[in-house]
Amino acid sequence: MKLLLYVFMQLVLVLLLAPLVDGIIKKIKAFSQKRKGPPLTQMYFDLYKLMKKDTVVSETASWVFRTAPYITFISTLLAFMFFPATVILHSISFQGDIILAIYLLGIGRFFMVLAGLDTGSTFGGMGSSREVMIAALIEPALIVVLITLGLIAGSTSIYDIMLLNLQGNSFILNPYSILLFAAIFLILLAETARIPVDDPSTHLELTMIHEAMLLEYSGKHLALMELASVIKQLLFITILANFFLPTGWLGSQATPMLSFLLALITYFFKVVCIALLIAIAEISTVKLRFFSVPNLAAISFALAFLGFMQFIILGR
Amino acid sequence: MQATIDNLKHTFPEKLNTYHIQHTNELYLEIDPINIQEFCIHLQKDLEGTLVSLFANDERQLNGNFALYYVWAIRRSGFFVVLKTQLKPDNPVFQSITTPIYAANLYEREIKDLFGLIPEGHPDPRDLCFHGNWPQDLYPLRKDFDTFNQPTHTKTIDDFQRVAGEGVYEIPVGPVHAGIIEPGHFRFSVAGEPIINLEARLHYVHKGIEKLAEGLSIDKCLYLSERISGDETFANSLAYCHAIEKIAGIELSPRAAYTRLVFAELERLTSHLGDLAGICVDVAYGFAAYQFRMLRGWCYILVEELAHSRFLRNINTPGGVRQNFLHNKEKQIIDAIARIKKELNETVKILKTNALFIDRIENTGILTINAARDLNTVGPPGRASGLHFDLRKNFPYSNYNLLDFQIPKHLNGDVNCRINVKIEECYISMEIILKTLELMPQGETIRRIGNLDPYQSALGYSEAPRGENIHWVMTGENNTIYRYKIRTPSFCNWPALCWAVNGNIVPDFPLINKSFNLSYAGNDL
Repeated sequence: MKLLLYVFMQLVLVLLLAPLVDGIIKKIKAFSQKRKGPPLTQMYFDLYKLMKKDTVVSETASWVFRTAPYITFISTLLAFMFFPATVILHSISFQGDIILAIYLLGIGRFFMVLAGLDTGSTFGGMGSSREVMIAALIEPALIVVLITLGLIAGSTSIYDIMLLNLQGNSFILNPYSILLFAAIFLILLAETARIPVDDPSTHLELTMIHEAMLLEYSGKHLALMELASVIKQLLFITILANFFLPTGWLGSQATPMLSFLLALITYFFKVVCIALLIAIAEISTVKLRFFSVPNLAAISFALAFLGFMQFIILGR
Repeated sequence: MQATIDNLKHTFPEKLNTYHIQHTNELYLEIDPINIQEFCIHLQKDLEGTLVSLFANDERQLNGNFALYYVWAIRRSGFFVVLKTQLKPDNPVFQSITTPIYAANLYEREIKDLFGLIPEGHPDPRDLCFHGNWPQDLYPLRKDFDTFNQPTHTKTIDDFQRVAGEGVYEIPVGPVHAGIIEPGHFRFSVAGEPIINLEARLHYVHKGIEKLAEGLSIDKCLYLSERISGDETFANSLAYCHAIEKIAGIELSPRAAYTRLVFAELERLTSHLGDLAGICVDVAYGFAAYQFRMLRGWCYILVEELAHSRFLRNINTPGGVRQNFLHNKEKQIIDAIARIKKELNETVKILKTNALFIDRIENTGILTINAARDLNTVGPPGRASGLHFDLRKNFPYSNYNLLDFQIPKHLNGDVNCRINVKIEECYISMEIILKTLELMPQGETIRRIGNLDPYQSALGYSEAPRGENIHWVMTGENNTIYRYKIRTPSFCNWPALCWAVNGNIVPDFPLINKSFNLSYAGNDL
């Protein structure tokens, strides 16, 4: 019963928070450009509008195109279930769930890429080819980071890692922790189609990566795909927030209800901080030349590997 | 100019039929069609001429023949050589000069489409203006074609250049694009990301401007010239007025000339700031893009306050400018320029210290000087590739000769150089405006032009923000236009863009495209 309640709360939380975080990033960027920017809630309106609209499906599309939005959305959402916003919301966890979560995201991406190819449109194919290239480059770094985190915690369960970080208070001050944070931050930018890698606001089909795969989508399908993207973004932000900036109110004197609320507020605060960081990265960089993206992936991998080596040599 | 005449007389003792000089810097030579190629090659190789325009004129009512005009600019000496040749209507074939002089390529195809004169030996005789849906034997720029005739569409074979090979595929883009831009179809042949060949198909917004101009009164045609291309309104109307004033033989009043100069430079400033914003958008540098857009907005506000038109319409008129627009506005302009300059300084400083941005634009889309010369690339892209010329310097008009200013010159021909040329030209424009305000005397702003003699022609030109803009006007009877040939800078620069993207990767195309910033409306006419 409690488990169900926690799963439900986590679901509501992610569905509410993910579009808002996107709005926050957009707002901060708008301020740097002397604009007001869209309201923070704009994405909810957009999703509502898309949900109401008809879905147009190309005549040449197969079942892959039709089912990909659902698979992508559900697998992304499921992956998020393994990353509780706070340790209190602990619902499902087991050894190795971090690997499972990452490859659930992989399934979503796989179907998104297939859907991009499915309709046979030029831009979809280009987007898929670029997406796969970036995914292949960024995955080694991600795996090294996660393995290192697992080694540090002595467990490959997300809950265990979070709990351990909470107890070992010096975690954030460790040099390898900073290295791994930087590595995941670069991975986040690449995975969520942020500026040095992709431009989320461009209208130029020829330069698109993520958007190019979604060009053929409309209506509900598009809404699901967009929601999946922001959930994925929140997932990576949550990794940063909960693994590297551990806070918790486990041992506090407050009532369970109050400590839960406090935990949620601190979680939200951390998410906003990281959103600010993402916005600053987007404001101060420009889109990389496409063939320079491997350099970014290499930097991320190098940081992750250095963190790993440091852990092996220095220990916890 | 006399040296050139002597040279030509000496080289072609028998082939030079007649010649005359008009409007002090236009040398007209009449030659036989058979000698075209020889003359053109001589003009290019030995006299350092550049083919800046090539057009036909239906003069069957006047002398029973079609006429072809080859306009050559001798930029170093500052005059034009116009070769005129006549073709018999029963055998409308002329010798193509595209193989030795590549710049003639599109002009000859255009003449073939619109006049039905066949360039013999043209290496690429496909349609240019028509997309395979226009009746074969209908030529809209002939005088016997009715402007309001709507022919039934046909379907003929119409193809792109094919590139074949393992792994080579085509990316069709357009003509309808995402975002609010004009229509144009781009056919990329790519192997993976690198572009092997790009073919741009334009003329989707062919409006028949040259045909519409025929028979219009001199005054009405001004409105047409202002509407050739939205962001080059002033440059186009200036070129048109320049041609009419040359035919009328009147000298501009100094006040009018300087007023034109201020507006022309404001248009350049506005356009370049918009281009810089566009380039920044394409590399996802939002901060700088909005800075430049804001600056462009300030320019628009200034222009609107001065002329009540953000796009500089209804300012020019043959004989001067309509009103004393700048009367008691000096302080306002100086203040606005100072404000723009200060903000521009800061933005450029931030832009140029962003290593990622510089990495993105350096060595992207290189247009070599040889290609630029062969294609007659004009304006900022030409100056970025080392072609150091500018109509304002080489063929001064509107009192530009009384001002001292520099022309930027860069050599690498990449996006970085084009950005630098545009930034430098922004500063130069602002300096010119400030100097002009100091020099500008009081006085009348308009001198009435009387009735014009029929069948007189003149070249009017102006340096538009995008490059040299050359109009040729021939008057008809009763103060009307007989033929109006418009050659905008975009017409010259589109092939240069297609050349410059070769070898670059597909995601860099929008960036290269924006660094050229060519007009579709100005090209399609």
